[in-house]
Amino acid sequence: MHRSDRTGTDQTAAPVLSIRGLDVTFLGSGKPIHAVRGVDLDVFENEVLGIVGESGSGKSVTALAAAGLLPRNALIEGSIRLNGQEVVGADDDTLRRLRGQDIGVVFQDPSTTLNPLLPVGRQIVEGEIAHGRLASSAGQARAVELLREVDIADPDNRALQYPFQFSGGMRQRAVIAMAMAGRPRVIIADEPTTALDVTVQAQVLALLAERQKQTGAAVVLITHDLGVVAEVAHRVAVMYGGRIVETGTVREIFSQPRHPYTAALLRSAPRIDVTGDRLDPIPGQPPTPTDMPTGCAFHPRCAIGEGRQKCRAEEPPLRILDGTRRSACHYAEEVPPPFRSGSGSVPAIVRPAPVSAPEPLLTVDDLRVHFPIRAGLLKRVVRTVRAADGVSLRVAPGETLGLVGESGCGKTTTGRAIMGLVPTTSGSIRFDGQEIRGLDRTGMRGVRRRMQYVFQDPFSSLNPMLSVGEAIAEPLRIHGLYDEMGGAAWIARLFEMVGLSPSVAHRYPREFSGGQKQRIGIARALSLKPKLLILDEPVASLDVSIQAQVVNLLQDLQRDLKLAYLFIAHDLSVVKHISDRVAVMYLGRVVEEGAKHDVYSAPVHPYTQALLSAVPVVDAATQGRTARIVLEGEIPDPAKPPSGCHFHPRCFRATDRCRTEAPAFAPVPGSPSLAACHHPGAGA
Amino acid sequence: MIGFILRRLLHLVPVLLAASALIFFMMYGVPGGPIGALVGENATPEQIAEVTRRFGLDRPVIIQYFDWLWRALNGDLGVSLHSRVPVMQLIGERLPATLQLAAAATVLGLLIGIPIALASALHQGSWLDRILSGWGALALGVPTFWVGILLILLFAVELRLLPAASAYVPFWQSPLGMLRATILPAATLGLYVSGIFARFLRGSLIAELNADYVRTARSKGLSEGVIVARHVMRNALLPFITIVGIMLAGFIGGSVVTEAVFTYPGMGRLVIQAISSRDYPLIQGSILVILAIYILINLMVDVLYVYIDPRIDYD
Repeated sequence: MHRSDRTGTDQTAAPVLSIRGLDVTFLGSGKPIHAVRGVDLDVFENEVLGIVGESGSGKSVTALAAAGLLPRNALIEGSIRLNGQEVVGADDDTLRRLRGQDIGVVFQDPSTTLNPLLPVGRQIVEGEIAHGRLASSAGQARAVELLREVDIADPDNRALQYPFQFSGGMRQRAVIAMAMAGRPRVIIADEPTTALDVTVQAQVLALLAERQKQTGAAVVLITHDLGVVAEVAHRVAVMYGGRIVETGTVREIFSQPRHPYTAALLRSAPRIDVTGDRLDPIPGQPPTPTDMPTGCAFHPRCAIGEGRQKCRAEEPPLRILDGTRRSACHYAEEVPPPFRSGSGSVPAIVRPAPVSAPEPLLTVDDLRVHFPIRAGLLKRVVRTVRAADGVSLRVAPGETLGLVGESGCGKTTTGRAIMGLVPTTSGSIRFDGQEIRGLDRTGMRGVRRRMQYVFQDPFSSLNPMLSVGEAIAEPLRIHGLYDEMGGAAWIARLFEMVGLSPSVAHRYPREFSGGQKQRIGIARALSLKPKLLILDEPVASLDVSIQAQVVNLLQDLQRDLKLAYLFIAHDLSVVKHISDRVAVMYLGRVVEEGAKHDVYSAPVHPYTQALLSAVPVVDAATQGRTARIVLEGEIPDPAKPPSGCHFHPRCFRATDRCRTEAPAFAPVPGSPSLAACHHPGAGA
Repeated sequence: MIGFILRRLLHLVPVLLAASALIFFMMYGVPGGPIGALVGENATPEQIAEVTRRFGLDRPVIIQYFDWLWRALNGDLGVSLHSRVPVMQLIGERLPATLQLAAAATVLGLLIGIPIALASALHQGSWLDRILSGWGALALGVPTFWVGILLILLFAVELRLLPAASAYVPFWQSPLGMLRATILPAATLGLYVSGIFARFLRGSLIAELNADYVRTARSKGLSEGVIVARHVMRNALLPFITIVGIMLAGFIGGSVVTEAVFTYPGMGRLVIQAISSRDYPLIQGSILVILAIYILINLMVDVLYVYIDPRIDYD
């Protein structure tokens, strides 16, 4: 999406939303939680303000406070003026009127923001009817009009449907229609695309920007995704530890940050447009509101503040540097530029090129996993979900194959099928010289010694009743190898390998942060000294700075232990960073596979091309961006895949042949990659 | 929808067949058997043989079962050994009384339970919530026979407003008379079940009040009253109607104590009498009928789901 009007903000006019000295404290049974500490913020008409921060930074709390949507146990101090009207301490009637007229909110998860039991159209116009701006008899017509404005096809019927009949992207369109129905002056969008796939994210961001321009509203966009901010926002506020630590225009923030946290955040994110060998993580953990460091909240993790008494003792005020730039750092002038130039300041690890072994460690051929859907009295199979429908891939010893795709493409099913966790329908899985598809329990147990799985969610994949030491030792005990592998000494060594102190072994999972739990999950997977790790979205639920720590750890472990990785992820930047080769999946099939460099710089399948072009990039802030392929529609239901090439309904190159004939997965003339496409080639 | 109901009714057949076999053969496993009940303790072997032959009890058990089943399918559940009245007739007299009491108790439970749940959920953590939760615990914890006796003492003995013993007065014959006759046992059961209803619905309401779509509704500027009435209530009712169905079905056979306190002529007392007099045909017949009604009530709950939740499509 483009910011056509980068300087359109008129900052001499009065701000539509003005926050001064905002303090939010949550009172509960325990210690009061001071989530937001002294936030000052102005948002003007016709601008998109991005608020960036990691979890616990106070960004969502600040935005919800502006809409008066915080729970009753939140103690709010300071001033929030919306269109000149004070929100803090306003009575219920005033708040209701403000919400109906002056402010609209788009929430994160479109699967839960709509009431499942009411028709979508009715929910969209409900606010306008409640405020007397619309007769309820005119509701249906108005809902249709609003749905049409957000580009929903067949709005007459869609307005009468229920949320479960909408896809994720359509639901978020409906929520945008709802938030903008009353033409509010301010729209708060709280992680509006975080739950969406990248091709759908591109559609929704484009829509949000278009509607913003048409209505002239001010948009407060809260996100953890620096790429999204770089592409959409005019100005940026960076939050850390409940405060704003830096504000400026998007170009200023991304080209010359004036707070060490901003700079560190930019350096720690893997980038799709830059090839680097090693990420530069921020050490330590973000602070929690109950455990805030003295002085500057960032000082324990800061390179500039290291050893400086002033940073430890004194909380720096948010001071004006020049023009509209503000920074809350005692030494703002010392902050280095954010990006490594070339191979740059960070020492690169020379990774030996993967040995081209005569036989790959893992070879998957034409793997099919079909889940029957049964219905009726006799439980007949009425449909089949083809979760994996002819997947072929290879992983060589010591290399990383990145398996990418959007939700529902079958990447996780493929990983689980290889591990023997879901029953397979047909095909072949060869691992370490042995056919493992269809092995019995005992056979599979032997295989799992050499092949381990790391799960996505570090919060639910550890048993809360087992100490982490026991959790790590469990695979050894199951295989009866505890003593043989070295017992307690090996467990202690595993803790050290993943960067944790062995002294924490007796603690329980709840005492660890997300990043630490994922380290424990990795240690558990390593305990049997496997040759292959299947990593299923191992960093998807972690904050950017923590994500970088785990990615670096995985790279170090791979080098030291000569591990092979099957790295399953939806994040193209992370996959690019960690992989040697990449396979792209769409609706149960691998559509393109090749060396990382080839797939990312010269993709041949139209889906890969669209996917790559949909990723928001940080460079957009400073250099603008080139044309983007915005795919139409969303991923079809895997139980009813389109005929021929599964991608043809969304493809910009589709011909009649694509509609009838499924393309073979084969080498592409003039390209080193493999692809399943009748019309492969460069460009859109 | 019609197809779904028909399919579910078809499901009833194997369930009832299995249940009937289970009931029939379990009775044969119980020491004593029907003959002892028929002839008394001092019977001579000749008398026993005579009775055994007369009731066809000398045939193989499996034959007896199919004989009973065939008659049952033809609407004949046999004759009560104790009163020599057809089982169908006995059940026919008691079942309407039980259904009426169960319905009245459930309605009363809802009338008391729903407002309590709403008040506590909307004021979660307040003194009102604590008092109302205390009420819920009290309603659940106090034995129903004791509540029944207290009600009789107050309304029948002290105030002389209502009868101490409740007869069955059909609603369609005299709504007021029915109310007078049923109010005390219905209140006893209703108070108890209101505690369960209030507790479940409160939890369900609190979960829904914290749901994302409620925050969305607030962001549209809707008033709390509209949010609760239009958005929260329907969602909270989904898990709740399952509980209501289970409690209602439970009253069909399970309100024995209350029926005994009020000498109410319901199914519960019929079954207890049948068991204590080892009246085998009556036990079998009553349990089968209670089971069938239990399943039918759950079917009704499933049908109700379709009207509340658009996501459910049984076809």
